[in-house]
Amino acid sequence: MGMVFFQVASLAAGYGSEKVLQDVSFTLAKGNTLAILGRSGCGKTTLLKTLAGLHPATAGAVYLNSENITAWKPRQRGILYLYQEALLFPHLNVFDNVAFGLRLRNTDALHVGAQTNALLEKLELSALSNKMPDQLSGGQKQRVAFGRALNVQPPLLLLDEPFGSLDVETRANMQLFYKNLARQQQMSSILVTHDLKEAVLLGDQYGYMENGQLTLFPDLNAFMADARTGMAHEMAFWQTMQQQADTQHAQSD
Amino acid sequence: MPKNPIPLFLLVLLFILPFVYLPLLSLADGWTFPAVWPEQLTLKHWQSAQHLYGSLLYGFMLSMAVSLTATALGFWVSRSIAQHRHKERLLRLAYFPYAFSPVVYAFCLQYFFYKTGLVGTFMGVWLAQLFITFPFCVLVLTPWWTSRVFDMENLSFTLGASAAQAWRRVLWPMARPVLLLSWFQAFLISWFEYGLTSVLGLGRVPTLSIRVFQYIGEANPYVAAVGACLLLFPPLLFLWLNKQSVFRVDTV
Repeated sequence: MGMVFFQVASLAAGYGSEKVLQDVSFTLAKGNTLAILGRSGCGKTTLLKTLAGLHPATAGAVYLNSENITAWKPRQRGILYLYQEALLFPHLNVFDNVAFGLRLRNTDALHVGAQTNALLEKLELSALSNKMPDQLSGGQKQRVAFGRALNVQPPLLLLDEPFGSLDVETRANMQLFYKNLARQQQMSSILVTHDLKEAVLLGDQYGYMENGQLTLFPDLNAFMADARTGMAHEMAFWQTMQQQADTQHAQSD
Repeated sequence: MPKNPIPLFLLVLLFILPFVYLPLLSLADGWTFPAVWPEQLTLKHWQSAQHLYGSLLYGFMLSMAVSLTATALGFWVSRSIAQHRHKERLLRLAYFPYAFSPVVYAFCLQYFFYKTGLVGTFMGVWLAQLFITFPFCVLVLTPWWTSRVFDMENLSFTLGASAAQAWRRVLWPMARPVLLLSWFQAFLISWFEYGLTSVLGLGRVPTLSIRVFQYIGEANPYVAAVGACLLLFPPLLFLWLNKQSVFRVDTV
């Protein structure tokens, strides 16, 4: 594991008297993706919103590059939250959506143009530069959303089931796209999902969330061995299917 | 083309008739029953209606002030209502001013307006009209504040936007069509408002609607027609100017 640059210590959060997160602690190495698996309503989204500063923590601390950022506002943290939906700004075209974050920082127009165009090319979005969001497919929208996020070079990306609204094929393509991008850009991210395959495919570190509590696993084998992840059940299912197919094949011979 | 075009033709005629009849009446002289056409056409009613032009400007300023205030306040308040756990109850309260007729409502307010010296003043009528336009704007704008809009606002924060930048670069442009709709409707309510303005303005707040009713009361149909033509002018102008944005509202 690389150098720890993001740390969460005994974090708790909730809504009124309802406790949603309890004593959540973990560390993340630079350039890694922590994949957190969990069912709907287990507190995954609240965890990401608390880390982004969009929801207040009731206890614990968040450290970025050893600095306590628990009381910082979202814009000061620079941690980027990507929703399940692409949430492109409907009044801006693809270029302006991707350039949005740079323009907020009053970056020089020439620099905005050069950097955004280079990124659009890398993401194979140059041809769509002038299109409005309602002219794009689901996968294209998600790529633009990634472009908008990457253009501001955030220290950490928070991915809240970012491919959940896509069809199976587009989802698989986007997972590969993200995997390659994360490697190329050395991106650090926390991904929450209820899709086991997605967690295994995209994660470098693994966790499982249940009732607001996070269990961390030292490696993929430990993650797969935990019954709650459903991995053992999944593998058993496919092994049974394979055996049945083999038996049928042998009988037909 | 429908099989029987006559009903459609009659409907179109019904819609167009005021726009033909009113200008014609305003230009007529000596047009009495049963004549189907005026004895002569003249511009004298338009030339003699100088005070109507003053009322046009006065009423326009009043309605602009009312509609802009109601929309701005409505946008701000509707955001809080949309996030409130008793949102439905609060929205029901917004229907309260419409439970009365404007005249009854005006009589309820009259005592307080006398006590505060607001009766018969521009400020008084502005405030009175806000009592009916502001809840209207709240009702129009609250449904716009969906969880998706709040998610976009939060996303802009994580992209580095300050609260002011989020308003200016995200919320304001996204809300523009619905804000225009709200403002335009509030303008129309204020522009054609008679009951509240009449009771609380005491005739000292000479909006165009008040003037037109005065001329109708005085059995002066020609000058009343001039006033009615002027009354149609700002709404038609705004409709023409904002046609694109107003008709884009359904895509929000």
